[in-house]
Amino acid sequence: MAYVENLSIEEKLKILTDAAKYDVACTSSGVERKGKAGMMGNAAACGICHSFSADGRCVSLLKILYTNECIYDCKYCINRKSNDVVRTSFTPEEICDLTMQFYRHNYIEGLFLSSGIKDNPTKTMEEIYMALHLLRNVHRFNGYIHVKAIPGAEPQIIEQVGFLADRMSTNLELPTADGLRELAPNKTRKTILAPMRQIQNGIVDRKGGIHRIGCNKHNGDDWGLQLPNTRLSKADGWGLSTLQPENPSERRDYLLHSECDLLHTQSIQNLYQEKSKFVPAGQSTQMIIGATPENDYQILSVAEALYNRFDLKRVFYSAYVALNEDSKLPALNTKPPLLREHRLYQADWLLRFYGFEANELLSEDAPNFNMFLDPKCEWALRHLEYFPVEINTASYAMLLRIPGIGTKSARRIVMARKNALLDFDNLKRIGVVLKRAHYFITCKGKMMHQTKIDQDYITRQILQLENKKNWELEYSMTYRQLSLFDDHSFVEKNQDCLMIQKQLSEVV
Amino acid sequence: MNKIVYLCEDTPDGIFTAIYDAWEARLPDDVLSLRVERNYEMELFAQCRYVQTDMEKAVKVARSIKNKISHEAYYMIYYASLSYEQDKIDCIYRFLKMGFKCGADIVNMHSYDIVCRMFELKRNVGNEAHMFREIMRFHDSQERILISRIRPKNQVLSLVAEHFSDRFPEEHFVVLDEVHEMGLFHEKGKQWYLAPLERELLERIWQHRGYTEYENLWKTFFNTIAIEERRNYKCQRNMCSLRYRDYMVEFH
Repeated sequence: MAYVENLSIEEKLKILTDAAKYDVACTSSGVERKGKAGMMGNAAACGICHSFSADGRCVSLLKILYTNECIYDCKYCINRKSNDVVRTSFTPEEICDLTMQFYRHNYIEGLFLSSGIKDNPTKTMEEIYMALHLLRNVHRFNGYIHVKAIPGAEPQIIEQVGFLADRMSTNLELPTADGLRELAPNKTRKTILAPMRQIQNGIVDRKGGIHRIGCNKHNGDDWGLQLPNTRLSKADGWGLSTLQPENPSERRDYLLHSECDLLHTQSIQNLYQEKSKFVPAGQSTQMIIGATPENDYQILSVAEALYNRFDLKRVFYSAYVALNEDSKLPALNTKPPLLREHRLYQADWLLRFYGFEANELLSEDAPNFNMFLDPKCEWALRHLEYFPVEINTASYAMLLRIPGIGTKSARRIVMARKNALLDFDNLKRIGVVLKRAHYFITCKGKMMHQTKIDQDYITRQILQLENKKNWELEYSMTYRQLSLFDDHSFVEKNQDCLMIQKQLSEVV
Repeated sequence: MNKIVYLCEDTPDGIFTAIYDAWEARLPDDVLSLRVERNYEMELFAQCRYVQTDMEKAVKVARSIKNKISHEAYYMIYYASLSYEQDKIDCIYRFLKMGFKCGADIVNMHSYDIVCRMFELKRNVGNEAHMFREIMRFHDSQERILISRIRPKNQVLSLVAEHFSDRFPEEHFVVLDEVHEMGLFHEKGKQWYLAPLERELLERIWQHRGYTEYENLWKTFFNTIAIEERRNYKCQRNMCSLRYRDYMVEFH
């Protein structure tokens, strides 16, 4: 590996952006901060995306590495020690200058600083601290900063960095400890979870000591982050599980009758959302999907445990992009599993905002998501006994479970029906996606069309809506030769014919 | 009875004045129509009444909306008044008529067409304003003034003004809206203001923008950050439509 000196700032930016681009998180949300006289910047809780790159991902932060030198040799990583790439580092002054000027031109919302590991984790973290200190206190930058906590760094330095950053993240890298051992020989689960726990406790302490019940239980080596078969009972506190009894029949009662419980719980949660000065936008993590053989159920359960036990704001999933050749990795020409990643994000939303649990969506017997249906639709089709739901009387929690209804439209429905009974036209204008929802709902006792509540029938109908979208997601960038024996041989023959016809018409 | 059309200036003040005048005239709904003077196409058998913008009347309307309905309703009406849609003043007028009857609940009554329509207007304006907070790009000038130019459908300037003056209290900046020929001006440490700008003046201000190396660095960053294996232009277009890219430096 060659460390090159005297590179121009443009060359450095190119190298260190290129090395940072595989990191997924680029959100600037979670903290609302007013501007201050004498400083530059503010922060909006909703987050602001400033642009969209050619891969369709949002560009919100200046996402760069401090250095791409690294003493570790993680197999999947472009910056691993054994790769022969040009190595370089920014100086703290260069980082400040780029951030301030980009921010001033309204190109970015702030800085996302990560780094390879130079000499040792603590030293790298100290250099990051220096850069942030300069940015905040000398350049008077008041915008958003997301920074990586490097596993293995001294707790003191992580704490100090936490007071300068808005969000911190520690990469889980791979969903299971086994995967980590295989692919990242220099890292262990324990060193990754330690800073995560430290940041969590730091945030809780500075909010006035309101701990979520069960947060501080130390369950052996894995800190309570276990795979489904040995999962312990969930952390509770203000979480949703108090509302959702384990017994399925009780759950059903809850879904059908309790009015707006979820709305109520959310307002209780908000009471305690007083922001601390330490990592005010909370912490996140990310894991690589498709480099190791875990199934979706394992991945989602890990994510659920992270939300419940570590109070994470976000878990990001990163479809594995084959960059390095190694006997332990998928082959170099493997395509990134984009549709799988998409399904995981959909399920992740269901966990965080829709009151679902991982074991409702997947199980040991069916451990992977359906590639043709989104997780919410799939759940609804497996539980047709709840449907159709009457829009004018259903609980908020139940409204959230209807495909085609999101959190915003569910809220609007609850508000609007106080004054009048709603019909399908109203729903459409409220923002409900009727082409999906109409199979599952009634308005004033009637369905929109005469629909059989029959799993096969509805599945077929919805699949026709989905096909094109999914296909595009997975194959949008490949040109393939047309073949009679298409690999989409799912469901029924006539479905296949449709696909082929569609392709033919596209080609013609 | 012939149709009566109130024509007013396309600003919140003008619109609120028109509402005040129309309200006082107590005309039946099927006869009354309120339109923006600019772009109005003459109708047969319609009698036009030109409204003179009057701050006092406008303030009275705003105050009674806040007192008798709610701040949320006022917020909704203010946003709708910035919309580019032709029917906006009619909608606001009818929405208000209902609002004075039902009170603060009105904003949630999605079962009424007029509330839905107002909601759509508000959402459209709000979304576009948010969009410009994201994609507006500033250029430096020799005098160290930041200059930006936008081409919005709705009149979003007053909605982005607060955001940017909070964000850049120590900067001088100008935002030019070429569609509505308006400018937003912010002087370091002072309150922002809007002023109408004639086309020629607008172009002259725009000429002052200079080029800095950071523009190039930003393009380098933008082109490097995309992952080749995930390239997806369709998704990119969905998230950031071509219409908005005219003044985004990274696309040129």
